[in-house]
Amino acid sequence: MNPEVMTAPSIDYIALLPYIIVGAAGVIGVIVEAFVGRNGRRPIQLVLAFGSLIGAFGVLVVNRTTLGLQAEGAIAIDGPGILFMGLILLLAILVALLMSERQLDPAGDAFAPRASALPGSDDERELTTRGYFQTEIWPLFLFSVFGMMLFVTASNLLVLFIALEIMSLPLYLMAGMSRRRRLLSQEAALKYFILGAFSSAFLLFGIALLYGYSGSVEFSVIADALAAEPGQTALVVGGVALLSVGLLFKIGAVPFHAWVPDVYQGSPAPVTAFMAAAVKVTAFGALLRVMYVALGGVRWEWEPLLWIIAGLTMLFGSVVAIAQTDMKRMIAYSSIAQAGFILIGVSTATAEGLYASIFYLVAYGFTTIGIFAIIAMVRDAGGEMTRLDQWAGLGKRSPLVAVSFGIFMFALASFPLTSGFIAKFLVFESALAVDNLGLVIVGVIASVMAAFFYIRVVVIMFFREPVEGSPAAAVPSATTTLALAVSAAVTVILGVLPEPVINLIEQAGVFLR
Amino acid sequence: MTSTDPSAAEAVVFWVCAFLSVVGGIGLILSRRAVHSALWVALTMISLAVLYIANAAPFLGMVQIIVYTGAVMMLFLFVLMVVGVDSSDSLVETLRGQRVAGILLAVGFGLLLAIGLGSALNGVPVVGLDGANGEYGGNVEGLARLLFSEYVLAFEIVAGLLVVAALGALVLAHRERWQPRRTQREISQERTRGGIHPAPLPPPGVYARHNAVDTPALLPDGSVADISVPGPLRARGDLRPVDTAAVAETAALTSGEATYGPAKRPVADDPGTSPGEPS
Amino acid sequence: MIGNGAVVLSEGAPSLEPLAAATGVFAYLWLLIALPLLGAAVLLVGGRRTNRWGPYLGVLTVSLAAVFAIVLVVSLLGLPADDRAVGQTLFEWVFVGGFTVPAALQLDQLSMVFVLLITIVGALIHVYSLGYMEDDPDRRKFFGFLNLFIAAMLLLVLADNYLLLYVGWEGVGLASYLLIGFWQFKPSAAAAAKKAFIMNRVGDVGLSLAIMLIFITFGTVTFDSVFAAAGEANESTLTWIGLLLLLAACGKSAQFPLQAWLLDAMEGPTPVSALIHAATMVTAGVYLIVRSNPIYDGTAFALTTVVIIGIITMFLGAIIGSAKDDIKKSLAGSTMSQIGYMVMAAGLGPIGYVFAIFHLLTHGVFKANLFLGAGSVIHGMHGEQEMRRYGALRSVMVITWITFMCGYLAIIGIPPFSGFFSKDDIIHAAFEQNIIIGICGVLAAGITGFYMTRMVIMTFFGKPRWPDDAHPHESKPVMTIPLIILGIGSVVTGAALLYWGNIESWLEPVTGIEEKPLAIPTIVLEGITLLIVLIGVSIAIARYRREVPVLAPKGNLLTVAARNSLYDDAINEALVVKPTYVLSDGSIFVDERIIDGTVEGSARLVGGLGARLRRLQSGFARSYALLMVGGAVMVLVILYLARLP
Repeated sequence: MNPEVMTAPSIDYIALLPYIIVGAAGVIGVIVEAFVGRNGRRPIQLVLAFGSLIGAFGVLVVNRTTLGLQAEGAIAIDGPGILFMGLILLLAILVALLMSERQLDPAGDAFAPRASALPGSDDERELTTRGYFQTEIWPLFLFSVFGMMLFVTASNLLVLFIALEIMSLPLYLMAGMSRRRRLLSQEAALKYFILGAFSSAFLLFGIALLYGYSGSVEFSVIADALAAEPGQTALVVGGVALLSVGLLFKIGAVPFHAWVPDVYQGSPAPVTAFMAAAVKVTAFGALLRVMYVALGGVRWEWEPLLWIIAGLTMLFGSVVAIAQTDMKRMIAYSSIAQAGFILIGVSTATAEGLYASIFYLVAYGFTTIGIFAIIAMVRDAGGEMTRLDQWAGLGKRSPLVAVSFGIFMFALASFPLTSGFIAKFLVFESALAVDNLGLVIVGVIASVMAAFFYIRVVVIMFFREPVEGSPAAAVPSATTTLALAVSAAVTVILGVLPEPVINLIEQAGVFLR
Repeated sequence: MTSTDPSAAEAVVFWVCAFLSVVGGIGLILSRRAVHSALWVALTMISLAVLYIANAAPFLGMVQIIVYTGAVMMLFLFVLMVVGVDSSDSLVETLRGQRVAGILLAVGFGLLLAIGLGSALNGVPVVGLDGANGEYGGNVEGLARLLFSEYVLAFEIVAGLLVVAALGALVLAHRERWQPRRTQREISQERTRGGIHPAPLPPPGVYARHNAVDTPALLPDGSVADISVPGPLRARGDLRPVDTAAVAETAALTSGEATYGPAKRPVADDPGTSPGEPS
Repeated sequence: MIGNGAVVLSEGAPSLEPLAAATGVFAYLWLLIALPLLGAAVLLVGGRRTNRWGPYLGVLTVSLAAVFAIVLVVSLLGLPADDRAVGQTLFEWVFVGGFTVPAALQLDQLSMVFVLLITIVGALIHVYSLGYMEDDPDRRKFFGFLNLFIAAMLLLVLADNYLLLYVGWEGVGLASYLLIGFWQFKPSAAAAAKKAFIMNRVGDVGLSLAIMLIFITFGTVTFDSVFAAAGEANESTLTWIGLLLLLAACGKSAQFPLQAWLLDAMEGPTPVSALIHAATMVTAGVYLIVRSNPIYDGTAFALTTVVIIGIITMFLGAIIGSAKDDIKKSLAGSTMSQIGYMVMAAGLGPIGYVFAIFHLLTHGVFKANLFLGAGSVIHGMHGEQEMRRYGALRSVMVITWITFMCGYLAIIGIPPFSGFFSKDDIIHAAFEQNIIIGICGVLAAGITGFYMTRMVIMTFFGKPRWPDDAHPHESKPVMTIPLIILGIGSVVTGAALLYWGNIESWLEPVTGIEEKPLAIPTIVLEGITLLIVLIGVSIAIARYRREVPVLAPKGNLLTVAARNSLYDDAINEALVVKPTYVLSDGSIFVDERIIDGTVEGSARLVGGLGARLRRLQSGFARSYALLMVGGAVMVLVILYLARLP
């Protein structure tokens, strides 16, 4: 190539519009924080957040037929990619509804008035009585969504890594911003940060090895290299291993799950909802793309790995959740177990497995948001009441809330006529299609054990007399109610009439290279 | 570096720098004092920079020195100086088996990777960067071209990462004031009228062994002046304990009650020998 | 099969051509499910507004369904015998990768009899509940759950594929769970509900795995296609499917070794015990086995296992029923035993399928009768369930007494009461197949005679043993009228179904039928059976004619064991519950105690929140990081190992 002349890279900004909208809204949000007076910030941030998320979703729907590699092959906007982005945006809109809630906590929203104030200090009390709010969470949230959208469509390892960090950094911060139980929250944030950084190091090492093998970070080049050279070297093995470690950490698969319970417990409920729903969807999106597109040529090697991890994850999550006494920790272990079920779909390395995993993620994502919406509602003056025995008699005091929670529990326990049933069915079916009966048996056994603790919650809510001081659910504002209603409706509708969604997923086809 | 085989000199540079970088890494973990750790990291980074340059990547080597060793680590050192150079952590492991398991697993992990990579890379011909660098007319030019063509998106979205990092630092550290800033006049008025401390507060103590901000000064009567230590440190309980025995000894010496000679006090009682433990 | 291995594939195996599309009155087949479902929805969603008229709506929807069921059976009778099966596709439910599961209903001869049983007995029990639950503040919810149950049960028997059947299967489980725990203020009720749920889940594992296996083997889950292909499948696959289906049946039908929940389920209101835990839901296992008959036809081993399970449960239930002093628990033991009969009959293969269903129908009627009678007694005794505190109630509760006697004579099999025909047919079929099975059947009939007589004597005869302030009274007409109808049913159902309804030829297209010559004439066999029953009855009369102590005497080892339900709880505890918890605690121990405990301990020593927090963080994070490194090593090892071959 002539060193004097350089062709400008081709970037189709229309195709990238969804990313640009969300990212730009984040940047504008930061500027708003700097220049707008205290009272004016929240309305502007809300408009920015909802406007950009809905706008990006709209553009995504309009652009849905423009598929292809964009920005010099850095990202792949393909059917599954658009599905994942759409799902992330929808979940983010619901999370934003939960985040904008200001009626549940008498002191305001779910976030600390100022993250830098020392927990329990006069400073903090003063801020609370003065009604200060930390509106910086909104730009942080938008950047995280921006990172997620990039993460699921990244088509080279470099973008994958940067997107991972853009997604994660705001999460580390947001985890430490709970208004109540500040120390627990800060502890969660620090742990999440340290372990997240640790896992990023693994991921980077893996990327380096794969680059060393193929001479490129592009998924397609790596795939070509693997196809061209059947005898794989230790570079590939190490690369696959370390890359999987980094991705499995975000998914919360055993044995990379240790952060999940602590972080879920410490973070403010809306942020936990965001982590449990959107982050899981995102991490699976990226895992699927990396495994299917870049590493499809060595699937004989990573399939057994995913079988073992899936089995371990399902069994461990289900078994340990049985002995939990804290609602958030129980849901955390449950989310570990659910990740195991989704991994079954991933481990098939077939189109059917891909569809099943996506459907599972849709079902799981909405259900999870609903669960945390309700966890945020069951509270007393000191904050959320997450001890299981404090939920006794909720069915008597707040029947509607308890029934919704029951629906979510039944969905997670994969009862028929809920989304969870169809999701499990599809995942198991995809594994059976590749004759992996063993994993399905493990899955069925794990799901039966899991049913035990989901149903225990129902028993506690409906069949246990309320004890002294057990709460009625606080009355939330319209935003939480809306998020809750949408989640419950999706959970039921996907169980009764899943076909349109399944069709949509199948029409989306497979990943582009 | 036109030959396809690394020269003997390059091999020597590699082994020396590789050894030093590993030593730096181990030193980072084993140091009790944060300052020492930071200096060990600096050693590692400089070694790496030399390796990069030896590998025909001068730009990366320079960036490594300027950004990491020069900027990041020095910033780190500044922070440590402010907090107190002497602050150190206990290296006592409270978790049973943690250290043994950690060492075993780390060695196992390293061996697994090293053996695999060693066998895989054995006999791979050395290409060198000359070809890649020459294609675009130089190392920096080549990097620039990659950044603005193939990796332009990665380059652009890094901006997002930086914004988040800056915002995060602000969120964690920034305090907005809710009262109007008090003028100097108000402060001095308050001080004189309050009658507590009309003069400036005493500075931290300066001793032969300690002079960091967490070391309190002594009042003329020998008592410890807590207010000489900055408020945030006091709130955190990071006051360095004053060796009262030494103070008494000094007082005795100055008043003529004692003479120089072998220590009269039992050393075991000296709280100053364990400076890290908060009292 | 035991002894003689000849398995004759039934001639009337299900037709291979697709079901006739539902036309005419059958086009409204969905109404059967929709009506009670609508009732449930209105009652459960409507809230307090529907308190006043809600229960009546609940009764109305089920009654309409019953009327419609009768219309349907008449229409079916109008069709030629081979065409009495119609299918109706409601919508495409699951559709993925060329694999479709429609939500489709199928009404054939087998479904029809179940629909009749469920809707008619269901309607009667709904009416009865109007009286029984009169004073309950949550009456509306009760009727909502009952309607939900009816809808789910109808879905179960009308489904035309295994997956939809599974939906109904879980649905009835859910309704049963809600209704057992209906009186949630009783901790025992909540515990019983949970127990029932968990044991049913164990059965559900069987059903889900069976469905998975069916899907891999046949590539479909629709009954017709599966059964059409069942002949070609290899035997070991069929055996596995058969055993897994049996596990499912054991859970739902309280068969050994999953029987323990049924006795506890009596914590629910009595109409629930009558409808769900006697007449309908617990027979779903029998339905499943009979419905899957083409699968069992190919696997002698699974069939034999079915027989053995049936026999064990038959005796187990009978022994428990003989020792329990709680009238409902005694009846529950009896239910277990009778379902054991049916399962045993189903295990006989084509010889027994028809009679299993026949006995299921008559049992559904007379057991509902007995339970409602017991409910009437309990109602009159103000909630007292202990038979030792009854006695001489026949004088104060005449209608209850007479109807109860009808049920009693039916269950012990006195001609011409309904149980006689059905039980006798089973015993007959058992002797045709294998003499040992036959003898077991006769013996169990004898024990039935014993415990039922014991119950009747302790409740209605002898001296009154109730406290002075009890004032037992006859129930209101709204309760006695269903009793009378069911009492008449107990008398006539058997003969009517056998002679007028011609049940054998009616069911033949679905189940096939087979007869073998028998060495002894039928009349002799009937005589022997009757004799054994009468011996059982006499022993009971001899024992309980005299004074019945209010406090239970110590009793011998077997009695004590039987009173404790043969220690099933202890066994479950030791075999299932404990290990699960040990496993769970162990994992938690690794996860939290080792990591968390030591750290917290040291933190407590240091004291102070800040220090504690700092220690906690470092402690946790480094342990977690260690775990991650371990995981990374594991991943590497797995990948290296995967490359070896």
